[in-house]
Order: sequence, then C-alpha cells, then structure tokens
Amino acid sequence: MIWFETLFSGLTLGGLYALFGLGLSLIFGVMKIANIAHGELVIAGAFLAFAVVDLLPVPLWLLLPLVTMGMFAVGYALQSALVNRVLGDDPLPPLLLTFGISIVAQNLLVEIFGADNRALDPGWLATARIGPVWFPVGLLPLGTLILTVVLFGVLHLGIGHTRWGRIVRATSDDPALVGLFGVKRRRVFAVVMGVSAALAALAGVLLAMRSSVTPFSGVERLLIAFEVIVIGGLGSIWASLLGGLALGLVHVISFRLDPASGLLYGHILLLVILLIRPEGLAGRKVTR
Amino acid sequence: MLEIRGLDAFYGDFQALFGVDLSLQPGQTLALIGANGAGKSSFLHAICGMTQARGSVRLGDTDLAALPAVGRAAAGVALSPEGRRMFLSLSVRENLLMGANVRRRGPWTLDRVTGLFPILGEFADRPAGLLSGGQQQMVAIGRALMANPALLLLDEVSLGLAPVVAQEVHAALAMLRDQSEMITIMVEQDVNRAIAAGDRFLCLLEGRAALTGPCAGADLDAIGRAYFGEDDT
Ligand SMILES: Nc1ncnc2c1ncn2[C@@H]1O[C@H](COP(=O)(O)OP(=O)(O)OP(=O)(O)O)[C@@H](O)[C@H]1O
Ligand SMILES: [Mg+2]
Repeated sequence: MIWFETLFSGLTLGGLYALFGLGLSLIFGVMKIANIAHGELVIAGAFLAFAVVDLLPVPLWLLLPLVTMGMFAVGYALQSALVNRVLGDDPLPPLLLTFGISIVAQNLLVEIFGADNRALDPGWLATARIGPVWFPVGLLPLGTLILTVVLFGVLHLGIGHTRWGRIVRATSDDPALVGLFGVKRRRVFAVVMGVSAALAALAGVLLAMRSSVTPFSGVERLLIAFEVIVIGGLGSIWASLLGGLALGLVHVISFRLDPASGLLYGHILLLVILLIRPEGLAGRKVTR
Repeated sequence: MLEIRGLDAFYGDFQALFGVDLSLQPGQTLALIGANGAGKSSFLHAICGMTQARGSVRLGDTDLAALPAVGRAAAGVALSPEGRRMFLSLSVRENLLMGANVRRRGPWTLDRVTGLFPILGEFADRPAGLLSGGQQQMVAIGRALMANPALLLLDEVSLGLAPVVAQEVHAALAMLRDQSEMITIMVEQDVNRAIAAGDRFLCLLEGRAALTGPCAGADLDAIGRAYFGEDDT
C-alpha cells in the first residue's frame, strides 16, 4: 500500500516537473535557444497568483486562467521587446540576454514582494481525498496530474493538427523561408514564448500550492526543467511528459529509500541517460 | 506587368547583381539562364525580398521594393526555391497548405495542385522529407501555386532530377503556361530546355545582364558566348 502511495506521489510530482520542462522544450524546439529565465517565469506565475489573491480572493478555477493569460502577455512582450532582437545564427546572445532577464526578474520580485517564503493556500482542496477507502488519493495532486496530461494533449493537438501549429512547425523548420508564405516569424516566436510562459506560470501556481517559494526559487526549477528535457529527449512534447514522470518517480522513490539523498538519484538518472541514451528516453536523434 | 529597373543585390558588402532591367507582360515566361554563380538565385531573391536589394521592382500597380518579404507574398510573389526546401516536419499536404497562408483568391486549391501532380495526392500524408527529389520539386512548385501568385519564381526546376522526371515537371509547367495570366521566371540549368519553355530569355553573367531577347528564333551561339563571357569576335 505504501508503495502505491509512493508511486502516486512520484507521478504527481513528475507531472509538475513535466510541466516545468514543457515550456522550455517548446522554446528550444521552435527557436533553438535555451531560455535561462524559464525558472523565473515559473516563479513569476506563482507570485502573480499571490498578488491576485491578495487583492481579491478569487477561486482557483478563476485564478488559473487569470494567471495563465497574464503570463502569456508577459512572455509575448518579453519576446517582442527583447529576445527577438538578439535572435540570429549565434546562440550566445540569447543565452546572455535570458540570463540577464532572470537576474532582473529575481530582483524585481524581491523589490515588489520581499524575499520571504510564500505559498498558496488551496483551502479545502488541501485535505480533500477521493477514491476507494483502501486507496484514497489527494484530490489536489490527482487534479494536478490530470490537468498536466490534459495540457500536454491540448498542446499536442494544437501543434500537430491546427493551422497555427503548422505555421509554428514550418517556422521552426526554416525560419528564413516562412516570410515568403506570409508568416511573420517574430510574431510566431512571440506567441510561442507567450505559450511557454503561460505553461510555466501554471506550473508555478501548482508548485506554490504544494510547497513554498521565494523569488530565488527559479534556478532549481530551471535545473529540473533541463533535466526533464535531457531525460525525456527533444523533438516531441510527449518526451517531456515521460522525462518529467521518470524524474518525479526517481526523486520520490529515492527519498523513501534514502531520505538523506536529496536530488542525488535524479542527477544519477540524468548521467545514466546521457551515457547510454544521449537522445533521451523518447527523443529523436538530432540529425542535421 | 512586371517592371524591373536597375536592380542591385547584396550579401553584406558583396554585390551579386548590378543594375539588371527586365519587363514582362502578363502570361509571359522568362527563361533566366547563366553559369554557376552568375546571380540567378540572387535575382529571384531580390524580387521576393529575401536579400538586400536596391532598384525598382513593380508588379502591376504595386511597388514591391517598398515591401518586406511578407508583403510581397501578399502582393502575389511566390518562390519555388533552389534545393526545394521542404518544411521537413510537415506532411506533403501541410507543405502545400503553407502556400495558401497568404489567402489570395484564384484558381489554385489542393485539388487542383493534386490534379496537376497526382502523386502528391497519393502521398498527401507522408512527411515531405521522405519523398524523392522529383516529388519534392512538385511539392515546391505546388506550394508556390497554392498562393495563387501573380508572379511565380521557379529556381532550378530540374536540378538533380532524373531526365524522365524533369520531363514530367516541365510538361506540367507547360500546361500552366498556356492557360494563365501569371508571369513566370524560370531558372533552368539546361539552356535548350529553358529556351523551349520561355517567351523571353535573360542571360546573366557575373551579376550583369549579358544578353536578352525573345526565345523564338534565339541565336544559340550568341547565348553561348553571353553565358561563358567570351569576347564575341
Ligand atoms: N548567402 C550568400 N552570401 C554571400 N554570397 C552569396 C550568397 N548567396 C550567393 N552569394 C554569391 O552571389 C553570387 C551569385 O550567386 P547566386 O546564388 O545568385 O548564383 P546562381 O546564378 O544562382 O548560381 P547557381 O547556378 O550556382 O545556383 C555568387 O558569387 C555567390 O557566391
Ligand atoms: Mg542559384
């Protein structure tokens, strides 16, 4: 029974990790850049939620879409105003720029909210349980996991089966050519960054409901997000889900067996994957 | 009609075209010829806005030179690029649909393109990268046609294709030529085939117009001299 519980909490934690990785993988896939500020987008989502509930106590079902839309706008603006300017053949400028954005974002968050620990009180959801008496599971973690899978599904359909997704994939394939087909690639990049920021922010709100965060919590989430996409692989969004679940399971199981180990076994998993399957569990070999 | 005056093209400091002039009537096809590096692709890129250029380019009432590439696409310029440049993560159908993004009115639809190249209908759901070179060339041309262009730019129509496939592609292009008001500029390595497919020809030499004239009754010896840049003595 205890192992069922461990498995379940590994999967829910893994779902959250997958959500950290998803937005980062999307940016990497479409723009071929690493967004060092991705962790700060996660944390900014959490703090935007704090700000909203401080102002007026909106219910969760309203809070999530509000934060999502707000952070979409932030991502869109960041890309149009800053990141688009430094995109080119050289991967270094976007790396430095997003590093700079992450520092500025941390300081901005401290300036506005202070450096204290904060968490989001999920109210009655915190203790609500569902399922058979012999295996009751928390409604909040279950809901989180379901929401994560639904988000992956929506993104899969959006990218694979809509006109918008077709344009995004074409832009990723050959950004220099799409202009001839009436596509403004900077607009596409801005929307994609908006989507990435919205996903990150959702993950941030879910994170803040299970543990407390500070303005400096972004780095750890960026690290998790990188591990997720290395473990899962690039080239498909489902790879991020797989990578997230694998990492979540390893963290929770290793915590059970060896409580002092911290994130050690996660890093070991990462190393093993890099050694025996560098393209990731579900990634395609990068051939160019 | 298409009216080009004093077209220069640049890659950074390097100048690839020097004051090229051209005018074409609706329905006309230009055979653009020249040796490797003569500037044929640069000429097409300068027209569709893919490289820095200077000079005047007018299509009908539209001043193309004032527009970015996206605007030129909307104004009716479409390119089938050298090397075909498939969108590799898109299926054949999706590649063709990319051409329809500009939403111009006209006769070209998925059905008509697959009518012209039936194999593309059969392979509609395959990733475009898995097709043969000839089939990819058909996708590239079909994708450009899906934009219902007023000016169709075809770069290296039969480069790297087996002779029968090249024949097939040219047969399809000949059908287009007889039934539309579209202006076409075709780059084709095979000079005889190019002259046969065009109404007028333009031979470039080191970025300059070396010889131009009607294709009917063109003097192949003179073209040969312009092509290789020999003194015409
Ligand atoms: N992206 C580029 N950057 C710098 N120089 C370029 C670039 N593309 C072409 N050139 C140069 O411009 C000149 C004309 O090239 P262009 O590709 O237009 O020739 P072309 O007639 O199409 O040749 P080919 O038959 O090989 O396709 C060449 O000297 C070439 O080296
Ligand atoms: Mg060329």
